[in-house]
Amino acid sequence: MLTLTVNGEKKQVASAPDTPLLYVLRDELGIMSPKFGCGLAQCGACSVLLDGVEIRSCITPVGPVATATSEITTVEGLPARWAKQHAQAMTESSLHPVQEAWIEQQVPQCGFCQFGMMIKATELLERNAAPSDDEIKEAFTTSGPSAHLCRCGSYAAILEGVRHAASLIANKNKSLV
Amino acid sequence: MSQINFDAATIYGAKLSRRGFLAAGGALAVYATLAPRDAFAQASAASHSLDPTRSSSWIEIRADNTVQFRTGKCDFGQSSIYVAYPQIVAEELGVPLEAITSVISGDTDRTPDGGGTFGLLRTNVVNLRKVAAYTREAILELAAQRFGVPKPQLTIKDGVVSAGSQSMTFGRLVQGQDLKLVIPVRGNATDFAGLVVDGDPPLKPVSAYTIVGKPLKNPSLAGKVTAKTMYATDVKLPGMWHGRIVHPPTLGSTLVKAGRLDGKKFPNSRIVVTGSLVGVVASDEWEAIQAAKDVAASTEWTPWKGLPGHEGLFEYLREKIDWSAVPVTQGAANKGDAAAAISGAAKVHSASYEFPYLKHAPIGPAVAVGDVQADGTVTVHTNTQNPQYLRKGIATMLNTSIENVVIRTYAGSGHYGRSNGGNAGAEDEAVLLSKAVGRPVRVQWMRPEDLQWSTQGSAMYSTVRIGLDRDGRVVGYQSDHFGPPMQDDRLIGAVLAGLPTINAPSATVPAPHQAQLLVRDNWVYHQIPNVAEVGHGTLQIGQQASPLHTGLRDHSMRTPIQFQQNFPREVAMTEAAALARLDALQFRIDQTNEPRLKDILTRLRDASEWQSRPSPSPDAASSGDRPVRGRGVSVIFRDNGFWACAGHAAVTPSTGVVKVERMTLVVDPGIVVNPLQLKRQVEAGCLMGVSIALHEEVPFDEGAITARDWLTYPILKMAEMPEIKLVLVNRPETGVYGQGSETANALAASAIANAVFDATGKPVRRLPLRPDLVKRALSA
Repeated sequence: MLTLTVNGEKKQVASAPDTPLLYVLRDELGIMSPKFGCGLAQCGACSVLLDGVEIRSCITPVGPVATATSEITTVEGLPARWAKQHAQAMTESSLHPVQEAWIEQQVPQCGFCQFGMMIKATELLERNAAPSDDEIKEAFTTSGPSAHLCRCGSYAAILEGVRHAASLIANKNKSLV
Repeated sequence: MSQINFDAATIYGAKLSRRGFLAAGGALAVYATLAPRDAFAQASAASHSLDPTRSSSWIEIRADNTVQFRTGKCDFGQSSIYVAYPQIVAEELGVPLEAITSVISGDTDRTPDGGGTFGLLRTNVVNLRKVAAYTREAILELAAQRFGVPKPQLTIKDGVVSAGSQSMTFGRLVQGQDLKLVIPVRGNATDFAGLVVDGDPPLKPVSAYTIVGKPLKNPSLAGKVTAKTMYATDVKLPGMWHGRIVHPPTLGSTLVKAGRLDGKKFPNSRIVVTGSLVGVVASDEWEAIQAAKDVAASTEWTPWKGLPGHEGLFEYLREKIDWSAVPVTQGAANKGDAAAAISGAAKVHSASYEFPYLKHAPIGPAVAVGDVQADGTVTVHTNTQNPQYLRKGIATMLNTSIENVVIRTYAGSGHYGRSNGGNAGAEDEAVLLSKAVGRPVRVQWMRPEDLQWSTQGSAMYSTVRIGLDRDGRVVGYQSDHFGPPMQDDRLIGAVLAGLPTINAPSATVPAPHQAQLLVRDNWVYHQIPNVAEVGHGTLQIGQQASPLHTGLRDHSMRTPIQFQQNFPREVAMTEAAALARLDALQFRIDQTNEPRLKDILTRLRDASEWQSRPSPSPDAASSGDRPVRGRGVSVIFRDNGFWACAGHAAVTPSTGVVKVERMTLVVDPGIVVNPLQLKRQVEAGCLMGVSIALHEEVPFDEGAITARDWLTYPILKMAEMPEIKLVLVNRPETGVYGQGSETANALAASAIANAVFDATGKPVRRLPLRPDLVKRALSA
């Protein structure tokens, strides 16, 4: 058995160590936000955070990430991630600012790619709280294993979503001070 | 409990009746009349429904003042089912939007009407609006009897009916009663377009609208953003196994010998072979993937060649196809004698344009769960644009009654037309594998299969001739469009397995599966006195040479056929304007008498800061390392809406790289139902259009599609996104609801091609505007 830390919880998994993390999350742990898009690390639909860095779960074997110190975050875990980072209490309806922004700006069309998009946005904003438009575009195009692809064409909405999330984060941080 | 003193009433042809009184609750439910041949719809609803007494109701008004409606259409992310539809239904009923607490969509056992998820605001909602109108009239009938006043004295506001000092909520009017309203319909739920509501109930005047037109948010997004929404790919059933298909190496190969499944390496796997359909099923998904790969390596197929290859496609279409084998079709706007007018013209623009095959290319490959029970009943869990037509296809494949098949629908990756005839791929295979192993099976296509075994938007080439007089007026317009058909709805798993499907495309099958090519680009240039547009059809490319009767399976994709025909028209119009030394935008205004089109073109000139002058640009260059800039315009009339677009682009002649800098769109869809959602739809559709313009072409060799990933079928990336400016023009007086995203797709390619022409002085008449093809056009 391997032990995996996902969204703050330790999970025992029976999958073989060479099984891609995507199938472990979805089939064994029932964590469904990472989606199968290509199995080739070319689209970003399966992205999760590994210790704050975006990885593609479709090509990442579970063995090497099942360590005592590695922590995986999926979209299901974004509200708790934000609450923990800001020492806030969680409620049923808590959302990460990126999720709030995605609703406020009505970002998704079909939404299939958006789990990976929100993971990428979270990674970006944790490193750069006030990215320029060029930095946002670069993050979603060249910073990871591949560009994050959206077939519906929601890129304009994503850009506005990240801008909005950045302003939400700035306001929340201000109110905490 | 007050009671009303009627047993039945007739309302504009609909029949209102009371089935009984209830101690608690109460509702008015609305049903379709069913012709004898549709009796199965009620039977199947009763046997599979969660609530048999309410299963086929269209709209329900409940005693607690809540309203539920059902539609056989599905949402694919454009939000219409969850936002525009409630707005229109609430408006027509006269209830607040908040009263609509439930929308049931798609599932064949829980929705009444069927039909495809296309033209959502053009055709389908017209049905629902009429249902709502009948329902409102029934409510008025109930109130008239209750109050003892004639119907014309009643008014409705916010779900309350009033007459003088009397007033009552809708809920109170139905309280304690089981009321049934049966409305007249025609057709079948399993027809391609589903049931059509008959009759003419009075519709609320658009001038009285208060809910339609509001920029409301899409309530379904919260579930997606929080990962609570179940997508089709997330469906898990008890005892479900995972299936993968071992597809043939070419589109015409048949099975010689299935490979061996290594039981030691894959102890929990089984191989299933039916005809040329080879599947592997395993309890574990990763094992199924690996086992299928292993089996594929030792599976033997017949070789097949029957395709021209994408590089030779247009030469093949021009020289090898016998276009006389399929009857031609004439454009609806044809008039006068275009050939004679052009032969006598002062100047003639004559050119040929080429449009490649396109993939729908959803980010999520096809996926479905099939669940075949021992008693022969079948449930398919998937995302589809036409659940009732898929139901019919599955029943046909299994040679079983349609009553035995249920399609359950979920959120899914966008399909962009791929499943508007029911299937996207994998549904039939999931059913066949489930039947073989006696448990639910989930079939997930992998990325290469989704590119190689799905359908594609058809290629087309067009010849256009435009005659001009000495003053630059168009005296004649002639175009001939040549292409394969656009709607192959056969289930590919059934084809491989040798099981029954609907007919292959041919000149003798009924629409929409015919081989005849229709002229679908709605004409807008009515000032041109002589017009001749002709559609030339053929069979699917490769179809005749294939033992499976399938070649490059073609299928409608956003703005089908119209996109393929609008691209040559709009590029040719700009080239004709250049020949006349006239500004391309003003040239279009001068060729139309449609005030809505003149208006949006005038607005586009301002919104895009259009420089009025002939193309090419005074700075145009077709060689050198220095980027040159240009702008182009395009227009389209689709789904009752007028659209105009300006593209601004920079071209580097030495590399052929086109950078799209700015896209401006002016949209007059008629009534803007929801400006917030329409904005998002148009922006997204525009960017899909930019993707098609710059990158997309299905590569194939003599036997197979050779795209296998996002490198071999590239789509737009975020960094390539231009600035987008959008102007929405609301025209309530038109009385029509505007459509959203798909029309936007078709505008970008021609506007950008025209911008490249403006920037370089060289016309580009073939898509995509990829560096190699642009360089070829610049050196021509």
